[in-house]
Amino acid sequence: MKKPSNGLNRVFMALVFLFLYAPIVVLIVFSFNAGTSNAVWKGFSFEWYEQLFHNRMIMESVYTTLLVSLLATVIATVVGTFTAIGFYAMRRRTRAPLEAVNNIPMMNADIVTGVSMCLLFVAFFGFWNDFAEWVNNAQDFMTLPSLSMGFGTLLIAHISFNIPYVLLSVSPKLRQMDKNLIDAAQDLGCTWIQAFWKVALPEIKPGIVSGALIAFTMSIDDFVISYFTAGSSTSTLAMAIYSMTKKRVSPVINAVSTLLFITVLVLLVVVNIRDAKQAQAPTKQAADAGEQNSPLKKIALGALACLVIVALIFTGQHGNSNRVVNVCSWGEYIDESLIEEFESQTGITVHYQTTDSNETLYSLLKSGAGDYDVIVPSDYMIARLISEDMLAELDYSAIPNFAHIDSAYQHLSYDPENRYTVPYTWGTLGIIYNESMVDEPITSWSAMFDEKYAGQVLMIRNSRDALGAALLELGYDLNTTDEAEIRAAWQLLSDAKQKGVYQAFVMDEVYGKMEGGNAAIAMYYAGDYLTMLENNEDLRFVVPEEGSNWFVDAMCVLKTAQHKEEAMEWINFIASTQSNLANMDYIYYASPNTDALAEYPDYYFDLYDEELDRELYEIMVTPPEVLERCALYENLPADTLRLYNQLWTQLGI
Amino acid sequence: MSKELIRLADCGMRFDGETVLHDINLYINDSEFLTLLGPSGCGKTTTLKIIGGFLTPTHGDVLFDGVRINDVPPHQRQVNTVFQKYALFPHLDVYDNIAFGLRMARPKLSRKEIDTRVMDMLEVVSLKGFEHRGVTSLSGGQQQRVAIARALVNRPKVLLLDEPLAALDLRLRKDMQQELKRIQQQMGITFIYVTHDQEEALAMSDTVVVMDSGRIQQIGTPEDIYNEPKNAFVADFIGESNIVDGFMRSDFQVEVNGRRFDCLDKGFSVNEPVDVVIRPEDIDIVSPEQGKLVGTVTSVTFKGMMYDMIVDFRGFKWLIQTTDHSPVGSRIGIKIDPDGIHVMAKSEYSGMFGDYSSFSEEYDELDDASVVLEEEENGDEE
Repeated sequence: MKKPSNGLNRVFMALVFLFLYAPIVVLIVFSFNAGTSNAVWKGFSFEWYEQLFHNRMIMESVYTTLLVSLLATVIATVVGTFTAIGFYAMRRRTRAPLEAVNNIPMMNADIVTGVSMCLLFVAFFGFWNDFAEWVNNAQDFMTLPSLSMGFGTLLIAHISFNIPYVLLSVSPKLRQMDKNLIDAAQDLGCTWIQAFWKVALPEIKPGIVSGALIAFTMSIDDFVISYFTAGSSTSTLAMAIYSMTKKRVSPVINAVSTLLFITVLVLLVVVNIRDAKQAQAPTKQAADAGEQNSPLKKIALGALACLVIVALIFTGQHGNSNRVVNVCSWGEYIDESLIEEFESQTGITVHYQTTDSNETLYSLLKSGAGDYDVIVPSDYMIARLISEDMLAELDYSAIPNFAHIDSAYQHLSYDPENRYTVPYTWGTLGIIYNESMVDEPITSWSAMFDEKYAGQVLMIRNSRDALGAALLELGYDLNTTDEAEIRAAWQLLSDAKQKGVYQAFVMDEVYGKMEGGNAAIAMYYAGDYLTMLENNEDLRFVVPEEGSNWFVDAMCVLKTAQHKEEAMEWINFIASTQSNLANMDYIYYASPNTDALAEYPDYYFDLYDEELDRELYEIMVTPPEVLERCALYENLPADTLRLYNQLWTQLGI
Repeated sequence: MSKELIRLADCGMRFDGETVLHDINLYINDSEFLTLLGPSGCGKTTTLKIIGGFLTPTHGDVLFDGVRINDVPPHQRQVNTVFQKYALFPHLDVYDNIAFGLRMARPKLSRKEIDTRVMDMLEVVSLKGFEHRGVTSLSGGQQQRVAIARALVNRPKVLLLDEPLAALDLRLRKDMQQELKRIQQQMGITFIYVTHDQEEALAMSDTVVVMDSGRIQQIGTPEDIYNEPKNAFVADFIGESNIVDGFMRSDFQVEVNGRRFDCLDKGFSVNEPVDVVIRPEDIDIVSPEQGKLVGTVTSVTFKGMMYDMIVDFRGFKWLIQTTDHSPVGSRIGIKIDPDGIHVMAKSEYSGMFGDYSSFSEEYDELDDASVVLEEEENGDEE
């Protein structure tokens, strides 16, 4: 048989590598993009790296990640090494099953590990806190603290999933070691402990080092387990990145990911070079080791390591006041200078976390992992949380700035008596279209179902919004519970899908596609349209004549909140006119603050030295006559929610 | 010889309810070269480890210079060990390996003293110039020397050697035997040497202790052990032996195969059944007419210095070593001088050894033993 030609081999190899590395190359390239888009190249810049280092949430999470990874690595390495030694000393019959048990957590799905740890912590803390309360009430000598998830639980989780990796890399080294070495050292005058340090440890050191490196990489990488065990006040880099995807994928993510990729790459290269060296020249290494192990160098290294850890611990405790407030919001949904301003004004430390959707937030709260103080859910989710008795009534006397909130955004359907909420932002859902790709201005939802634009339409990947558009197109109510109406809307959507109207069902991908001119029509939020406009001037936004959804995200305090007083201070601060102006300018979502709305054009002029474009302003702050034809989502009854889910699944996206 | 240094008194060892050592009684003199000889699993290494302090006997006492040392840990005993496969420290070079024990010594030794002693020891084991070589780059023989130097540099009263030559090839093994003997005499230290190689044991030792199944079978000088084995096991384990059933007809008269032979043994009761040991090299071949016994040659193997012949005497096959070649199938006669015959009382080992009916397997036994040993060790490491 003839061998396939060398050329073909190479082409195939090249394709494989292209397949593997193209995404990373694109990521790295776009981390240097001057524009905000992930699709349009606007020139080279370090802007995102600069922003990254000024982004407080990311830097804090980088710090947390490094600290937890380092500590977890050190502890797991020590524990794992001694466990390996314990295993090694056992008889094979005892050892084999134990080693198998050790391997299970590595094979186990992270999600299972994460959820189970979360459950354990919640259960234990629940028990402990009840106990502490009982003890504290019963006597006055000592106060037992109440516990909640945070850095400690995150660390415990990381240690526990790191140990098996250390064990796995140390055990073979121990088994390769001559059993007589320790005996020999003892024979030559060492106690058992001395023999271990002087002889066994150098022998298994390569295993320990590579175990530690693997553990460190796993820790830095981990998202799922951290997500369930970090609690509300802590977040790792991976969690920070993930939560940033809710609103707008900022290119800062590219910069972070590039750095993360390079860090892991460097670690891998180091590990591989070490292994190669050992395999190549064990004798030379052995000879070198004698010199390397000079006590001075050892002490210097040890001191350096201690210094780094101590430094990390101390720098991490900036503003370590007792007063904190845990806030959970959406990614890219606040002007971060506000957080610093609040902290310096009040001395309260803000732990600012983000999640990616209302549903995620809900499940976090339900699982007990999200022990936040202030959350910023959307209208329908607020209704649901109220109905499930999860929110605390606000102390409006502590929130004087509530007076600035326009009456149009008070007493809304989700909180008719306005006892639980202070609005944060509001906005409308509409159609974004590319002027150069359609014949006439779009004004109606019918465009979303029109065969004329087959393959050019991006439908939103969210059952409520997609079916909502169809309901409005058919002239039904957005919050209808009539099964026939909902089924009719589904039919409309399904038919359009059959006819190939939709290029795709999208969420965040909408930015790239619309900015790059890859699709003509999409359904999305007004605030996000304004961001897209910066990258593509042909884009237009319309609130269709049939009406649309408008939404309000409002600040609420959880019933279980531990820092209610601080929460009120935070809410009051954010509700202020100054904060609203800053946020409006930063995130392009409309403020509910009457004064802020009125002052914004002047604020804009002062800031940028140019007139605010009224037309764009009206897209952000939808005028009352347009808002009139829009409706809030209401929390639907369970039956209807089920129907939505079922129909959505049938659509088969 | 000189005074007693170590004594094992009724020492026994049990692992997991299995007795590996039955009440051992043994004393070792100062400056003696004593060898524990036996097949794998006989308890010789266990005995060594008890002396080294790596195992504590389940019962009985270990005495050193008359002091009980059962509970003294290894690092406090004036004993050093050369381990099987040497157990050199791979991360240290030759110099640091040898200096290891000196650096651990309390009171502390000066740098200069350590250096002098290490260099002297390198001289003794002929490894000058190798100080800074990594130990893994050395040959087997050189590693062996490092291991010996590493133990001896501490000037122990007793050196324990656990099959130290097992990993070397035959030629090197012979050289090292000489070398070890020279070192032992030069330094005047007590050597306790463990081996399964009877030749090694005979060549080097002052005293040989033959062990099997956790019991001492015989203690004696190499000559005693070879010439006057106490039972079939010892006779078979030390060299080649034909062990045949016989009856002691009277003092100095033993009957084998229906023929009476003169011998030098006495003190048995009349007509007592006995084991008779006849070494293959002690049998003289004569013509069939002159022979006390007459048999047929069934196989001949050329061994260089002599021939190994298997001869069938009425169904009993004997091994005869001779320089005269007789072709297969020929009938020969044999005669045995009285000092070629050794009579032993019957023991539990009677009938288990010394029959050459299945010659080839029997003969390979020694080589098999080392293979089995290897496998066991590998099994342990798993």
